[in-house]
Amino acid sequence: MSDTATASNQDSHHGLVENNKKLLMWLFLGSDCMFFGTLIATHLIYRKLYPEAYDPTTVFDLELTSFSTFILLMSSFLMALAVSAMHKGQMKSFRRNVIGVIFFGLIFLGCQVYEFTEFVHLDLTIQTATFGSTFFVMTGTHGVHVAIGVFWLICMYFYSHTGKMDPHESAVDVEVAGLYWHFVDIVWIIIFTVVYLIEFIGKT
Amino acid sequence: MSQVDYAPLPVADTHASDENAKYHTFVNLALVLAAITGIELVLVYLPFNSVLVFSILISLSAFKFVAVIAWFMHLIYDKLLLTLAFGTGLSIAGGTVVALMFIFDRSHVDFDAITAF
Repeated sequence: MSDTATASNQDSHHGLVENNKKLLMWLFLGSDCMFFGTLIATHLIYRKLYPEAYDPTTVFDLELTSFSTFILLMSSFLMALAVSAMHKGQMKSFRRNVIGVIFFGLIFLGCQVYEFTEFVHLDLTIQTATFGSTFFVMTGTHGVHVAIGVFWLICMYFYSHTGKMDPHESAVDVEVAGLYWHFVDIVWIIIFTVVYLIEFIGKT
Repeated sequence: MSQVDYAPLPVADTHASDENAKYHTFVNLALVLAAITGIELVLVYLPFNSVLVFSILISLSAFKFVAVIAWFMHLIYDKLLLTLAFGTGLSIAGGTVVALMFIFDRSHVDFDAITAF
């Protein structure tokens, strides 16, 4: 009877910790929404006030950005599979999917570095135009978030090889990392539309 | 490094079938999201009315945003409290963006005062 009660207490404690971790991550993501909201608003306001100051369609490579967006969406899909695999206790499947997410995340970062380099060659830097200031700060901040996510997942991947990662105990940790990764994806969905696509309406 | 793998968790049949159902949902959603991204790319090159294209792009973007939150982030499977926690931040962020866009309307800004600096 006593053992049953102790096991029940441990289960309820474990459930409480799980819920608190997820709640904290959702609260953090809510606050990060406000952070990105102000960055996007700043960019849009400057575009609205000075529409003729810079024509971004001359420097944007829409095909490359669409490819980046596709890569990030697919990484989100693999992350969802990694979380599902961990819930099912399939460690090998989890590792395979996490490697895929890391790989796609690095491709996205590579595309962003390439894009930034091209812009600098075209004389668009953070100092040469207001458009450059708001654009580089906003997309750069997003890039830093992606880099943090990649680093987090790399750590998680190696930790899974130490033998200390128990699927039952660590499922919520993987889920929290997954929430962060999906958030990075949804922020890019907004940036892709309001920063890139909208600029091309009526100009092609 | 250890190459230890773990036996599948002793989940109930219903839980296992739930996870399998989720797998199919994730695959379908990934295909839909990829298709929408392709449509968005094609849409800006089509000679349609600008307002119409703008509205469609915003709608598609909103759909992708909500779909990722609902299914990939498991929000529809989780507690309402988590939706409220995120929804509060998202509402404040969205409200701030809309408010700032109205405050800094082109007709309300004194450009001479800005350029005087």
